[in-house]
Amino acid sequence: MAPVRQQILILHLQSGDLGSQTVAWALYDGAMAADAVQMQTGSEYEPPYDSVLAAMRDGWRVFQASPLPERSAATGTGQLANEFWLERNVNVEG
Amino acid sequence: MAIAETEMVAQTELLDVRQMARFVTDGFIEFDDLVPDELSEAIHADELASVGQDSPIPEVRWHITDNPHGFYERSAAVRAVHNLPRVKAVLQSLLGPGHVASHSALHCTGPRKDTAQMWHVDAGGRRQVRLPGVHPWSFDILTAYFAHDTPHEMGPTLVLPGSHMRSVLGPDAARYKNIAGQKRLSGKAGRIAFMHEALWHCAQTNETDQWRFMFKIRYNPRVPQRGLFNTDGWDSEEIRRFFRMNKGAHDLTGESSAVAQERADWWRYLCGADELVDPSGTGAHGDYA
Repeated sequence: MAPVRQQILILHLQSGDLGSQTVAWALYDGAMAADAVQMQTGSEYEPPYDSVLAAMRDGWRVFQASPLPERSAATGTGQLANEFWLERNVNVEG
Repeated sequence: MAIAETEMVAQTELLDVRQMARFVTDGFIEFDDLVPDELSEAIHADELASVGQDSPIPEVRWHITDNPHGFYERSAAVRAVHNLPRVKAVLQSLLGPGHVASHSALHCTGPRKDTAQMWHVDAGGRRQVRLPGVHPWSFDILTAYFAHDTPHEMGPTLVLPGSHMRSVLGPDAARYKNIAGQKRLSGKAGRIAFMHEALWHCAQTNETDQWRFMFKIRYNPRVPQRGLFNTDGWDSEEIRRFFRMNKGAHDLTGESSAVAQERADWWRYLCGADELVDPSGTGAHGDYA
């Protein structure tokens, strides 16, 4: 049986609705060789999927979502909210 | 050695309210016409003389802690650029008289470099983490000067407009790779950008066969940053309209209302105005937010 490796796709959406627009994305590919170049900052200007739902329809599985953001004047703004982690397992050459 | 700027510049050369409102909104302001071509050409020659076959010569390596101004000391032309009256006027508008250059660095990126920097803010970027006595609206300025043409494929610095309003520390933003609204500082030779210290940024890949250079100085203020630019019209209908129209600018995940109120408070501070008194008691920030 061919070895399986995990691919992680992190999507940030405009809102907590899984169908809302993707505003940030990152791919970490466990199937790539150590000396291959992973996704780099500034490498793409269009997201791979418009939403988490669109990624799910293409076979990605959601396995983690960020808590709903607590907003207050004291916390201000910081990291992007509405973060979703998706995974896909792919076969690699044995 | 720190460089103290003590000369006053003409009021007419200072940034105006339109330019400063854009800086407050975007977190940076860039110029294509401040530096004469002959100075940029001289600096580019100095830069090319600062790299060997595949790495910068030791004298200009930025991390040599006892040589914080390596390229600045080596290149008379780069010193001339940062002492041009119009460049000093921008610095004085943002930082005030007496501002100090904390350190400088020549960033050299070789041909065909296929890896980019992580998203980050430079040290001290998180505005909530401050030494005692530092005003919450105090900010440093990072200049990014490009002596040669830097088309998109050469990978000039990537910035995220509006990210200076977010509180993150150092490499906290490294998980992200691509973000809506990200922008490379592409342009012609002589372009110089003035960035708020908290602006998210990262060096990019270089798809060309040429070295890419960016010269940076970090400046610290020495006075409260209020009323330092040409504040004529700070409360005009045009400016109020600008902030209304840009209320949602750079909103990514629902922050626009909170950011607009912060912007309004910062704008009044920058312009030397009193804190807004809200007679309604609702916390509304009037026309600015």
